[in-house]
Parts: sequence; structure tokens; C-alpha cells
Amino acid sequence: MKQASTKPLAVTRRKFLISTAIVAGGLSIQLNLANASALLLKGQVKGRMKGENTANELSPWLTIKPDDTIIVTVPTPEIGNGASTQHAMNIAEELECAWDFVKIEFADYRREYQKPGSYAVGLQPFFGGHSTDHDRMPYTMQLGASARERLKMAAAQRWGVPASEITARESVLTHQASGRTLRFGEVAADAAAVEIPVEPELKPQGDWRLLGKAQPYKLQLPKVVNGSAMYGIDINLPDMVYAALLQSPVHGGLLKSHNPDAVLNMPGVRAVVVIDPAASVGSPVETSPTFGFEGSECRSGVAVIADHYWQAKKALDALPVEWDNGLGAFWSSDKKIHERQDQVLSRWEGVPLTKSGNVDAVKAAKTVEATYRTPFCEHAAMEPLNGTAIYSAEGLELWHSTQDIQQAFWVAVDESGLHPDKVRFNPTLVGGGFGRRVIGDDVRTVVAIARQHPGVPVKVIWSREETTRQGTYRTQIAARYKAGLAKDGMPLSLQGETCYSGMAINIGYTDMVYAVTGAIPNVRLSTSQLPMHIATGAYRGPCYNSHAFTCETFIDECAVAGGIDPLEYRLKLLAGWDPAWSDCLKLAAKKAGWGKPLPKGQGRGVAISNWPQPGKKQAGSTVCTVAHVEVSQAGALTVHRIDFTFDCGRIVNKDAVAAQLEGGIVFGLNMALNEGLTIEGGAIAENNFNRMPMLKMRDLPEINIYFEALSGHDRFSIIGEAPVGPIGPAIGNAIYQATGKRLRTTPFRAQDLSWS
Amino acid sequence: MTTIKFKVNGQEQSLDIDPSTPLLWTLRDHLGMTGTKFGCGIAQCGACTVHINGHATRSCVIPVQAVEGAEVVTIEGLSDSGDHILQKLWVELNVPQCGYCQSGVLMAAADLLKRNPNPKDEEIDAQISNICRCGTYSRIRAAIRRAAEDLKS
Repeated sequence: MKQASTKPLAVTRRKFLISTAIVAGGLSIQLNLANASALLLKGQVKGRMKGENTANELSPWLTIKPDDTIIVTVPTPEIGNGASTQHAMNIAEELECAWDFVKIEFADYRREYQKPGSYAVGLQPFFGGHSTDHDRMPYTMQLGASARERLKMAAAQRWGVPASEITARESVLTHQASGRTLRFGEVAADAAAVEIPVEPELKPQGDWRLLGKAQPYKLQLPKVVNGSAMYGIDINLPDMVYAALLQSPVHGGLLKSHNPDAVLNMPGVRAVVVIDPAASVGSPVETSPTFGFEGSECRSGVAVIADHYWQAKKALDALPVEWDNGLGAFWSSDKKIHERQDQVLSRWEGVPLTKSGNVDAVKAAKTVEATYRTPFCEHAAMEPLNGTAIYSAEGLELWHSTQDIQQAFWVAVDESGLHPDKVRFNPTLVGGGFGRRVIGDDVRTVVAIARQHPGVPVKVIWSREETTRQGTYRTQIAARYKAGLAKDGMPLSLQGETCYSGMAINIGYTDMVYAVTGAIPNVRLSTSQLPMHIATGAYRGPCYNSHAFTCETFIDECAVAGGIDPLEYRLKLLAGWDPAWSDCLKLAAKKAGWGKPLPKGQGRGVAISNWPQPGKKQAGSTVCTVAHVEVSQAGALTVHRIDFTFDCGRIVNKDAVAAQLEGGIVFGLNMALNEGLTIEGGAIAENNFNRMPMLKMRDLPEINIYFEALSGHDRFSIIGEAPVGPIGPAIGNAIYQATGKRLRTTPFRAQDLSWS
Repeated sequence: MTTIKFKVNGQEQSLDIDPSTPLLWTLRDHLGMTGTKFGCGIAQCGACTVHINGHATRSCVIPVQAVEGAEVVTIEGLSDSGDHILQKLWVELNVPQCGYCQSGVLMAAADLLKRNPNPKDEEIDAQISNICRCGTYSRIRAAIRRAAEDLKS
């Protein structure tokens, strides 16, 4: 890895003003976009200008209290990736505060609505990640620097010495010459009155003390391990009642009939309410949900409200309900779906999105063609879907585990029909997201139920079965590829078509690295749709997690057909590309003992991918895996070892990156080995973990993660999604080496791997 | 409704409650102790693990009538101030990601260590069958190993 850059991060995109105030006897510091109105017009800042009655309200990013406590306000939810801790570290780096004094609070999204730009900085500012975003990170660091300088000047004034003679370290201000010291908290209030003519420069990266060095535990952990951490499902309010719900098992179906009288006399039952998608009120003002409202619609169903959850659930189980399944019932089985996918793909009539040369004019020595499939997958976050809301004449208040606060807020406004000033959204810790808690269909359902039972808080809990059936799944895909190989085995042409049945994201497909390097002169990559009724959405590296499997398996097949070692094949194809890719391949191969003989029934496979910018040099996070597997003659698969290399440029927190890679690798393993929903009569057949096997500790292979392929390029690319990509194809390619069986669909557990 | 008496974290509890209510929901809804988590409701994931009379048990399938007279310990009572060796190591080694499953994992791991202060990897794997979707398994194992080492000295 290269030496750290000597440059500070650049604050470039927007000019801003820093303003201060005295809060609770201490210093509060906030950002004011100097040109918020102009940005609003350009659509760069979400929300609407209000102006009135807000001047005295504060949108603090940072508060220093007299007792030295540092409150860092975080606009993003905490989903377990440590983004809020990282955000605080970015500030602490410049503030020079003692880390032990740092606490985190979630920002109130209403402030952003009332005063656009208060918290909206960087890519998807209210989404649960991106703490090292190249816009947001210098902004937050500037806050720390500004506060530090103001504290220094306040101390300088008190002591009557030049501020330049004062140093700040570990929340203490020191005048070296006289040996005098002051704690930050002692001058915090004075610092609020300090005007600084020019905002301080950020430190050169080489001077960083925390970033790139410290690896503190996530700030919420002491509460997580003693049970006091509050996830959405843990909210407890006076007079709270509970709702259990059931929605059409076939997505898009409608509640035909139900009989509330059958359960209203059961103990504790308060009400039975209908969840009616058509009853949504609509926002009274222009809205700006991060991802739009499509996919956030309620699903037709019914909810029982009772004093306790168990009472609500028992009554729901006893409630007679009939469904009109609607058109979704057409999809009677997976077999039918696969036949239709094949019909679409065999026409080769998809929309070409990536095109170079002429694939039809190629005279190939050999042609390789194969079709791949990946199924619908459920996020299976450990915290089942839930939310708590109180709807009354005063307005609507919610407590909810969301991955995107802005999206959740506007969905709540839209479903309730209330003016945004009357809606308050309280983010909580999130018990796993992986993309499931983004679009806000759960928020909308909670509001729809609470609205019908006003005046008391209603906690709505989806059972695990309901959570599973009412997913927004990773879309299934089918992909067909065709390559024409030259006599030397290398591809002259690459043709592909990917057929989606839901939310289609092409990252890792139409911009797959092999299509953009120029190493393959003739390329045509198309997409098509087999529309279905099943709800789909983001899922840890949306669609990339499928494309990495189809693309990296096909390239492996080309290598085998061309008679070239699969590692060598990839290195040849990537020869003129960003060298970090080759470095990742070579290091993983070396560490894994690539090429060393293995007994029969064992094999190694390799795969490489990048999220979210595979088609650009020195961008995104490149990830590479060599898997070592063993398959018994009877077909039992054991993954012995995963050797993993990556390049995300640089890193600011090694342990946090390692944790995301470890988790992503396990996620990728589970996806490849276990995950896949079955469609029966238009509905999802799986409903709980007894039918949906999940990787457990005993299934864990040896996992080796190497940091030595980091290029040191000046970027801190996101690392949560990328690692899920190469795991499946590396294992599949290893299984081929072990058994001669080529796996073209996931999950692998469902397939006959026996050999003789 | 039936009156059920049992102890939670050393405190006597007497509840008028539907006796079929799972212990999980009794703790969460009736006693306001939300550290014990709901994950699946069918004893598959282990998020709801508590100790009943000293044994790690998945509380989502235990009706409260079955704990009449029993001693229940939840994550809130695993230690006086969050200083059980596993709790300390869980923080130090940054084990949790989202953390939702971890109170159950901690209760299962504490039970394992109590019975087997120096477990082999295979014994850890056999005992800790909890589901962690974030994939923190390697850190869970490492923390249990470290605890065993620390307990030796």
C-alpha cells in the first residue's frame, strides 16, 4: 500500500457557512448552506423552503457540553456497519477531542424539510452508510476543525495569549509556554460567541491520528451487549397496543372477505382493521422521497389490534380470511417461470445497452454458450419488520428501523396525508437491513394501521412468516451468454442477455469489466424483462450479486473451453486495465496455493468483481476470491477455505472494513449455497427458517482476508456490498474443478453434485 | 388468565396472563424487558435465548406456564453492569454488527462457557447454532476462545 496522501481532503462541491449557538451551556455548531435556495432550484437539495418559525431552531451537527460530552448528530441510520461511529471519527479527527467523550444522536429529519441543506450533504445523505463519501467526509471534518479553532480562540481570549500558541489534544487546550490548560467544556460556551474570519484548513492526511489508525468499537455496542439498545421493535410507550398483520400471500392479491366478529371477543382484542392500498391519503405538499414511492404501496390485508402482541397474533390466527389471489396465481411453479425465461432469452431480442464491434460478424474457432439462473432471495434481517406509530389530532409520530430516514419520512407523510410539520420520525437502531428497509412499504403499512386506531401508540409486528412472505426480494434473473473464441482460446466476441423479473440494476453486467477493457473486440450486452407480480427491491449489492455469478461463471467456462487456466485467462483479459484487479487476482491465487495439486474431489475456483463501478479504472471496490472446496462422491459439498483480496483505494478504519468483508463473505456464501425462494401458486412457499436454511457457525469455512492488494489510490470506496459478489462463482468454479459439474444456477445445495 | 409466579434476574414476578403466552412475549410486552429478541418464533434462530434454571433455552416456544416457579435470567441480568467476560470481549473485539441477534448469542455462549470453560471449536459450533445474518460468526468464535483463555489465567 502506498504512503498516505499529504493532501487534505478537498471541500469542493458547495460553499457553506458555519454558525454557532449556545446550547445547554455549551457550544453547538451547524452548517448552513450559503446557497441553499439556488441548490433547491437545481433539485440538488431535497425538501422545501419554509423559513418562518424556524430561525430559532437549531440543526446541530456537533454539540460540546460543559461536562465535555461531545454530541455528534448523525443524519444516517445505524444498520450495523458502523457508519455513525465512522462519522463521529471523521469529526473527532479534526476536533482533537477525547474519543471517550463522544456520543451519537440521530438527526431529526423535519429540520431538513424546514431548512433544506441542514443535514443533506453527500451521496444519499439520509441512507445508512456512505460515512466516507467524498463530499460528506470533508464537510463533517470541517465541522470538527471549525469547533476546534473556536475553542482555541476562546481560550486565547481568556488567557490573553495568541491562539496560535494554543494546542488542542484529547479535549484539552494547552498553552505550552505557561503550562495552563482548559478543558473543552470549560470554554465551550465562550467558543459559541467566537467569530472566525476564515475557516481553518483541514489537516494533511499524513497527520491523521484517528483515521487510518484507530479501530474503536462501535459506539452503540455497550448497549447492544447488555440488552438496552433500542431497535424499532423495542420501543415501549405508555398505553401502547400491538398489531399483528396478514397480507395477501400472493403479491398483488386482495382481501376478499374476513370475519372480525369471530375474534373481537377474544381476550385483549381491541379492533380488526383492513389494510387497503386504495385508502392511502396522499401528501398535501410536494414530496421528495429518496427513491420515489413506487414499491412502497400497502399490500392488501388485515390487522388485529390487541393489548399484547400474543393476543393479537392468536386472534389473527383465528380470523377467517379469504383472498382474491389476482393475476399472480398464474405463476404456478418455478418450472413455468423458467420456461418463460427461456422463451424470452432464446429470441435474443433484448435491448442492447453495451455494444462494440459486431458480434454477428465474428468467425470463431469455438463457440461457448450457456444459460444461468438466480432465484428470488429474501433479506431475512434478524429483526422482523415492525414499526410503532401514534396518530392523533396533533399529528403523527413514528419509531422505526429504517435504512433511509428521508424515504421513511415522506412515505409517512404520504400515507397519513398530514402536513410534514405534523409528522415526526424517530429512527432507531436497525436490526439488519440489506436493502429490505429502504423503500418504506413497512412504514406505510404501520401508518395505515395506526391511522385507523388513533390516540394510542400502535406497535405493528410482522411475524417471521409474514416478513418472509411480504418481502421485496432480490429479483430472479436468467442470463444467456455466447462467446466466440479465437484459435488461441481468447474471446473474440461476447454476447449476453439478462432477463429480470423485477427491479433491474445493470451494475456488474452491462459495465462488466471484460466488456469495457477492449480486450474483447465485439460485445453486445442486452437486457429484457419477464414481468411478474412478486415485489422486488434492493438486496446487498442489488443485482450485482447475480451478475457476478453469471459473468464470472461464464468467463470460467470460456477459459476451460479455450484450454487456458482460469486465473491466467482473467489476467490476460485484464492486462491493460487498472492493475489493482490483477494484483487482487495474483495475491488471492498466491495465498490460496493456486495450481498446487489437490486430491480428487477437491478443487479451487477464482472470481473477481467490483461494486459499484466495475467499468471504471481506480473506482469502486474490486473484490477477488479463491475458493477451495471438496465434494464427496455422494455429492456433499464442503467449502474448506476462502482467500479474499480487495481494493477500495484506501481505508480509514481497518477493523470496520474487515467486519464488512467478513459479513459480506458469509452473506455471499449463504446466497450461493442456500438461498432461493420457491414460487407455488403465485406465493412464496418458504415462510420461516425451518424451510429457509441459513448458514450457521458450523458451516463457516476458513476465511482469510488480505489487505495487501489495496492500491492506496485516493478514495475510500464503499465496502459493504462488494464482497457478496465473487464468493458464489468462485465456489461454483471450484466445484467444476473438483467434479467436472458446471453449476449454472444457485443455490448449490439444491443440486446433485455427486460424481464418479 | 392465570397467575404465574417466577423469578426474572432474581426478582419475583407475579403476572395475570394468558398461560400460553410464550416467555419471550411475557418478558418483552408484560415486563418491558426488550433485550430478549424476537427472531422467528419457532426456536430456529436463537435470538430469544434466555437461561431457565441455568440452562440456555429459546424462550419463543416456552409458554409462560412452563416457567412457574423457575429462575429466568435474561441478557439484562447476565451481569450486574454489562461486565460479564463475554460482554466485555464482545465490545472489545467489535463482535456485533447490527447486534440484534447478539443478546441471544451471548446467553447461549455464557451457558456454554459455564459448562465447558475451555471449549474446542467443534464444541462451540455445536452449541452456538444461532443465526446471525450479518455474519459475525468468526468473531463470535474468536471472542469465546479469548474468554476461555482469559478464564484460564
